[in-house]
Amino acid sequence: MLELIKELSLIGGPSGREENVRKFIISKLPANAEYSVDAMGNLLVFVKGKKSAKNKVMLAAHMDEVGMIVTYITDDGLLKFSNVGGIETAALFGKRVKVGESELSGVIGVVPIHLRRGDDELKMPEKDTLCIDVGADKKEEIDGIVSLGDKVVFESDCVEFGSLLKGKALDDRAGCAVMLDMIIGGVEYDTWFAFTVQEEVGCRGAVAAAYNINPDYAVVIETTTAADISGVSGEKQVCKLGEGAVIPFMDGASVYNLDLYKLAGRLAEEKGFKMQTKTVIAGGNDARAISNSMGGVKTLTVSFATRYLHSASCVISKDDIAQMSLAVKYISEEFANA
Amino acid sequence: MLCALCHANGTPGNETETVSVAAEMLGRYMPVHIDAMGNLIGDTGVEGSKILLDAHIDRIGFAVTAIDEKGFLKVARVGGIDPIVLSCAEVTVHGKQEVYGVVTSTPPHLADKGEKKARKIDEIAIDIGMSKADAEKIISVGDRITMNGDLKMMLGKRVCGAALDDRSGVASILRCLEILGDKLSSLPVRVMFSACEETGAAGAVAGGFNAEADEAIAVDVSFAKAPGTDSSITAELGKGTLIGYAPSLNFEMSRKLEEIAKRDSIKYQVEVMGSRTGTNADDIAMSRGGKKTALLSIPQRNMHTAVEIIDLDDIESTAQLMAAYILSREGKSDA
Repeated sequence: MLELIKELSLIGGPSGREENVRKFIISKLPANAEYSVDAMGNLLVFVKGKKSAKNKVMLAAHMDEVGMIVTYITDDGLLKFSNVGGIETAALFGKRVKVGESELSGVIGVVPIHLRRGDDELKMPEKDTLCIDVGADKKEEIDGIVSLGDKVVFESDCVEFGSLLKGKALDDRAGCAVMLDMIIGGVEYDTWFAFTVQEEVGCRGAVAAAYNINPDYAVVIETTTAADISGVSGEKQVCKLGEGAVIPFMDGASVYNLDLYKLAGRLAEEKGFKMQTKTVIAGGNDARAISNSMGGVKTLTVSFATRYLHSASCVISKDDIAQMSLAVKYISEEFANA
Repeated sequence: MLCALCHANGTPGNETETVSVAAEMLGRYMPVHIDAMGNLIGDTGVEGSKILLDAHIDRIGFAVTAIDEKGFLKVARVGGIDPIVLSCAEVTVHGKQEVYGVVTSTPPHLADKGEKKARKIDEIAIDIGMSKADAEKIISVGDRITMNGDLKMMLGKRVCGAALDDRSGVASILRCLEILGDKLSSLPVRVMFSACEETGAAGAVAGGFNAEADEAIAVDVSFAKAPGTDSSITAELGKGTLIGYAPSLNFEMSRKLEEIAKRDSIKYQVEVMGSRTGTNADDIAMSRGGKKTALLSIPQRNMHTAVEIIDLDDIESTAQLMAAYILSREGKSDA
């Protein structure tokens, strides 16, 4: 699955432009996977299991990544942009990006430190002063190469270091990889898989996907902030890399049914997968959209602990990959028969 | 050539790797040696009024100050890395082997909402994905760290990456020697790729002392117009080498460089500074009883980040102008 995560990570697909991710996933689906694409672009896949299920179970992971969109081209050939999804301004300065379908190389430049006279060298420029520089001098040089509305993503290779993996868009291509791996490997019970769109701009695709599939139970497979880094201690670390699947009882958007949460804990013990929870209530994902849809859906979120989320350098533990697979497998099987 | 130079490690006080890459290149043109400061020196050994060409070979970076209990590295700057570009940046730690690292960012739930300031250097840490015990086997306090930014072509002749300050200057001198070709072996030329410029020009001070030259040209990078730079920055990428005028430089040399550039149709721009230049030129000019010194600069955007941008044409015009100047000293022209 490591290779799948890496391949998915490299595809450029910010919210609203998930088509290349979708094409890749479709190309990897086995013959027994039936799929359709709904009007928003969600990829809905059904896989028959060895047994039919008592309950309809939907697994969900989002295909979109945070990125940028070209809003204006100046006469000097520089690109003004808007963020797509929540990126901290600090994560933008001095980063390399790829623009458009042709993946033109660009950088988000900064006024050199020597010239930020009079200002404290730590003061960050306002976000609206930032531009993407592709090396052009004049707007005319990039006519036909860059257009308004073009997608922009961080340029970031996957790097394995120590027991960790760094890459862009691990949120939520790592989640997509877990689902794709499960589809390819086969499932115990009939299962629906929703590869959703536009999560980063308000959990939008999941609303339509949940309507179209109409599940009884859902498992949202995601990434969540781990602050187990230098200088942070105790519960402020939220969760830790290498400590297994993160299953929250509550986050910034959802209050998970406590019985479901405890069920996950029991399954972790019985089946032997590593589980941890979030010790800070923060963040949100498609679970809110799904659990509140129609008459309500019983939902849990299972996440990779991830450092530096929403940047060019998301980092997960390779050791958590297997734990995530196991957690999702056993929880979804339990839901199928609950 | 530029890619190999920029990829090499070589922070102030630890320039060995890049010096050995450059020594192989410079050694093709003249005998080389490394002096006590770590400067790479080449000299044709020809008698006569000597000219010294200098570019600094060190690049900015960090040094490890501690390995914390989680295996993260604490660091200090070596040279003026820009703190605002550090969040989630990628680095290489030069321990017993090269180790990959990511600079930490402030987790959102711990950040001050509307925080407008980057973190101080002693507040960041480097995530290398190792336990403290494993890290200590490979990494020691004092080991250097460089920002990752292998060179990448942009549109036209623009190139982007780390260490273009001042490896592009080094490249321009090597290219100048290439242009001089056979003539070089009869010219009194000394080349210095100096160490420790970024931490106060120590290399240039010592190297300048050791150089019995009458004239010198230093090559460094300077500021090109970019979004947010004010109207005092007029240099543009691709419009030619920047001939410096400043009280600390030799006015006649600056003028002569301009005349030669016009005569030979070499693209150039002019950069005027009010006191010192902030480059090795200042120290070289005062060294060993003084040398007449000029400064040529390669225009650059995003200085002191991993995404510095220069135009290859500007390296070429810098090289052409130096070669033409050197030949004019002998009363020869390039014709």
